[in-house]
Amino acid sequence: MSVRINIPHEWRHHTKDHTIVEVRGDTVGQCLNDLVRQFPRIELGLFDKEGKLQNYVSIYINRESSYPEVMTMPVKDGDEIDMVIMIGGG
Amino acid sequence: MLTTDEFERYDRQIMIEGFGEEGQEKLKRAKVFIAGAGGLGSTIALHLAVAGVELIRIVDHDRVELSNLNRQILHWDKDIGKKKIDSALEKLKQINAGVKIEAIEETINDVNVSQLVADSDLIVDAMDNLPTRYILNKAALEMNIPFFHGAVYGFEGRAMTIIPDKTACLKCVYRGRITPQEKFPVIGVTPAIIGCIQAMEVIKYIVGIGELLTNRLLTFDGLDMKFTEFKIKKDPNCEHCSRLERHKK
Repeated sequence: MSVRINIPHEWRHHTKDHTIVEVRGDTVGQCLNDLVRQFPRIELGLFDKEGKLQNYVSIYINRESSYPEVMTMPVKDGDEIDMVIMIGGG
Repeated sequence: MLTTDEFERYDRQIMIEGFGEEGQEKLKRAKVFIAGAGGLGSTIALHLAVAGVELIRIVDHDRVELSNLNRQILHWDKDIGKKKIDSALEKLKQINAGVKIEAIEETINDVNVSQLVADSDLIVDAMDNLPTRYILNKAALEMNIPFFHGAVYGFEGRAMTIIPDKTACLKCVYRGRITPQEKFPVIGVTPAIIGCIQAMEVIKYIVGIGELLTNRLLTFDGLDMKFTEFKIKKDPNCEHCSRLERHKK
């Protein structure tokens, strides 16, 4: 089963400039863990020291919010995950 | 009633189907609050001034610095050292003398926000930090005033429109409590694009035309030249809107 994760610009230096990474997993959490397995340096951006998703990252599946389940949200073959980073400039 | 000059000045937008003279009259009666006279605020204020709103109340506490001039197009070389609100007032009066401008030097906080936004038909977010955005979001919900969000970073931007009691609010989407970042990277075209989207949302809301950017987060990636729309929903446990709705009941 394959899920595509779109990598935001800010983190592409962690993924060797890959804009999309194919991952495997039945839930968002498993997919993100597979992303970290493939590109370990992305972990610092995604998770805090306790392993929780950083509070400035929102996860969307096929462009729909995964909140509040987020990490336990099931995914299926062909789904697309986006990681949207909160920004605050004006 | 529009004057002869106003008919001529706004002729091209009055021509738009669904806009018309009635739409222009609605704009002429609209009081807009813009929080910030920086990158976003410059673009938003200029476009709402030329569109012919009745009143723009713009609030900022900063003075113009050389490093602002790559993006804050209300402020020019000659304005360095001036208060941003004075610089903004001067340009906005020149671009459309028919629009009333209230330029207020103030730092928006929990205490003064309700007084600052009072009597405004809508609030436009042109801030450079998240904590003040949360203050504005909460005030907008409490005072039942529509809130038009925008944010930028580098070549990236975000925008969404919030209608109190009806749509997801900013806190339904942004849950983090990140600390203010004093200095953020940005190219001037990014706040120009996002500011234009916010101004367009404001005009659509006032005129009552089109579909608003509600329950949707629009993200802009200038490097990939891609707009993406994400569906969002009200968070039943939102610290701002759901708590307020429970309180109202």
